[in-house]
Amino acid sequence: MAKSTSSSPAQTTVVQTLWKAYNDQTPDRLKFVDAFLFFLMLSGVVQFAYCVLVTNFPFNAFLAGFSSTVGQFVLTASLRSQVNPENKDEFKEVSPERAFADYVLGSIVLHFFVFNFLG
Amino acid sequence: MMLLGALILLAPLVHASVLTLQSPRFTITSTNASQARAEPISLVKKASPPLSLGPTDTLKITFQVIEKDSGNGVQPHQTFLRFFDEVSQEEGIQPLRVNSAGKAKFELNMAKPPLSLPPTSKDPLKVTLIIGSHLHSPLKVELFDLHVPASHPPPQHPDEASFHPLPVIQHTFRPDQKLPPTTISAAFSALVLAPWVVLLGLWAKISPRVPRLFSPSIVPFVATLTAFEVLLFWYWIELKLGQVLLYGAILAIPTVFAGKQALVSIGQQRLRQK
Repeated sequence: MAKSTSSSPAQTTVVQTLWKAYNDQTPDRLKFVDAFLFFLMLSGVVQFAYCVLVTNFPFNAFLAGFSSTVGQFVLTASLRSQVNPENKDEFKEVSPERAFADYVLGSIVLHFFVFNFLG
Repeated sequence: MMLLGALILLAPLVHASVLTLQSPRFTITSTNASQARAEPISLVKKASPPLSLGPTDTLKITFQVIEKDSGNGVQPHQTFLRFFDEVSQEEGIQPLRVNSAGKAKFELNMAKPPLSLPPTSKDPLKVTLIIGSHLHSPLKVELFDLHVPASHPPPQHPDEASFHPLPVIQHTFRPDQKLPPTTISAAFSALVLAPWVVLLGLWAKISPRVPRLFSPSIVPFVATLTAFEVLLFWYWIELKLGQVLLYGAILAIPTVFAGKQALVSIGQQRLRQK
């Protein structure tokens, strides 16, 4: 993800430039989606860390939680790439509305499976 | 009256069918003649003291099978001597040869014991005479108890080891998994919820404009989507799979129409803005 920062001093300026460009050139709507993606990533990482470090005991709960973050991330990322105005040439057939409808359908199916696993 | 007459007619027949032994005798001869013993066998009382054979002694049994009524010698169809050790439950059956006059003779030479003699210990063998004939009632006579020198212990049957009750199967189960301590659970719960703070903070910072979220063309779609999420949450709480699929299928119909309406209106607005 573009927002991730590196602590290496040699790359600091590069990262700063990248961050500035992202902030200036990205539409708010895509930033909104990116914030959600970042949230999903953090959430998934914490759940996975809990599974590895502490216990996977309610394994179905772990599966449900982790797969919901991963699945939602994938769906959201594909939505973002389809509604990004810069990708308009690649998705000529897919209007943003169509992309959102796909996203909604995919999310409902995903949530169905997630709640199924939750037991 | 008829029945009684028939019984009276039958009585001699029944009586004639009983067998008995005449002058049954045993004789023990010994090479050194020390234990020699010769006595008639009583059919009602066992010989006392019990017979005892040394390693080189010979036991001889003689008797005649007769009809009790007529006293005629009878050759029964089957005549056996049974040696039975009541302690070890070992037994041996020795067929006897009876001649047509009903006379029989059996010799047990302990120097050459017959195969029918069971493995013996210091416990006495119970010797029984069993006579079977299809013309007569069967006869079973307990002759005497017999002490013989102990033999080798009986060989173990090759399958003996397999025919014992197996030890009770003890199932071992994996111990129940335990939840981690409350503090750790609480800490990680807070950690898992922390991204929500990040998300809400970022969204607050971006503060996207949603001017048409509550317009009449959009609200039904949002409402039906919310209903779907509530339905799935309800599924988690108590619903069964079939119910969820049914309700979901019903809810899908308005959702499709509401979604089409909402997305078409948004699309038209987008095209107007161009």
